[in-house]
Amino acid sequence: MIDIKGTLVSEGPGGVYNERMLGNFRVWDPYRSKLAALWYLDKTTSLGKDEVVLYLGAANGTTVSHVADYVESVYAVEFAPRPMEDLLAVAKKRKNIVPIYADATRPVRYAALLEPVDLLYQDVAQPNQAGIAVKHLPFVKSGGRLVLMLKTRSVDIRKSADEVFADTCAELKEGGYVVEKSVWLDPYHKDHAAILCRKV
Amino acid sequence: MHWYGEAGEISIDPAECEERILNTTTIPSVFCNWEDLRDAGLISTREEYIRAVREVSIFLAMKGIAADLDKKDAALLQMVRTLDEMDDVINLLTERVTDWHAAITPGTSHKYTRANGPRLVQKIAKSGSPSLKRVAREILSLSGVRTDLMKEVSREAVSVIPNMSALVGGLVAARLIARAGGLESTAKMPGSSIQVIGAESALFSHIRTGSSSPKHGIIFQHRRVHNAKKEVRGKVARQLAAKLAIAARLDLYRGELDAEFIDQANAKIDSIFGGES
Repeated sequence: MIDIKGTLVSEGPGGVYNERMLGNFRVWDPYRSKLAALWYLDKTTSLGKDEVVLYLGAANGTTVSHVADYVESVYAVEFAPRPMEDLLAVAKKRKNIVPIYADATRPVRYAALLEPVDLLYQDVAQPNQAGIAVKHLPFVKSGGRLVLMLKTRSVDIRKSADEVFADTCAELKEGGYVVEKSVWLDPYHKDHAAILCRKV
Repeated sequence: MHWYGEAGEISIDPAECEERILNTTTIPSVFCNWEDLRDAGLISTREEYIRAVREVSIFLAMKGIAADLDKKDAALLQMVRTLDEMDDVINLLTERVTDWHAAITPGTSHKYTRANGPRLVQKIAKSGSPSLKRVAREILSLSGVRTDLMKEVSREAVSVIPNMSALVGGLVAARLIARAGGLESTAKMPGSSIQVIGAESALFSHIRTGSSSPKHGIIFQHRRVHNAKKEVRGKVARQLAAKLAIAARLDLYRGELDAEFIDQANAKIDSIFGGES
């Protein structure tokens, strides 16, 4: 990851969402992007330039645009029509984004488009977040990574964030992932945890 | 299945690819490999592969978005949201203008006066200081637009969601689907969810802290709910919401009025409303 005096940036054409620029570099704001927040809290976070990424929950494509600046190619899945239009606009300028208009709970619908990926990045506001990650396990290369941004409040508001977190980790393990590390994204994002896993 | 087909019959024509992608029913055991396309002689570099797969995925996305936005409830949704936002704006401005009026006309009690809110705005539009008068006139004209829009929403709702509109009136029906995020999502809801659409904060505080559950959300705006006696109001709301759930499905899948269903549903709701139950 590139930082300029401690500020996380990515290198690419600016003007995606009025982000601040430092020279030719685009400032990657931890308050807007969970992946940037993760880097600020855990400096071992990395994106390789040869990596192929499957990004679930691409939304308007702000984080996707930064990820695309770092990696070889990104398959970005989003299922709401309005954000998808924004994502398509982002993909127009970044030729390594493959925007997919589909529901991440039904990977079969776009399975024919995908390649095996090095990194599965998931940021979806859904109740069955661990289930979605497990459904996509086949798409991850062995040795590949999962970064799951767990939005605990979407899972079950009756349970505490810690309970949801423990349940999710258990489900990921059962589904075949090895949970390596987890980071709570406070103070950047409340009740969000990043769960870092690997497929062996 | 791969988007570009299998060895021997590889092609990257978007329409053919679309068929392959949509016909995929299981997660393939062997995934796409860009080298398949290179070996078929269609591309020569990895970059070209990404370009080709992008073309197909963007083609599908555009088509999918167009189809989703073309659904007939999409326009109704925006109309009813505009209407509700106009209400907010009109109320805010009305409040401000009356305060302004009070500040320059001492000696008037606004709490204990018959000319409050809208009626006061009418009065201000005739007298008042020049700029205040202009603002008041704008509020009145906005109110006129609002009234017309409301009629149009009701009219549209009767044609787009005839069964729901027959049960609770076009305006309330349109508000319900707007809040639920569309006719399709409404049709997927159980009656109990429809009953509390619009009462989310009360519902979540009920789930979290165990306070009493809300009896009604937006459907409270329907006369048979808010005019019901307090003891049966929850019952009416529950019964009405259950029938609305059925009506939403009729509207989504059949799209025309089912008079027999409406008569039976209304009879059932009215019997509770009347206190027989």
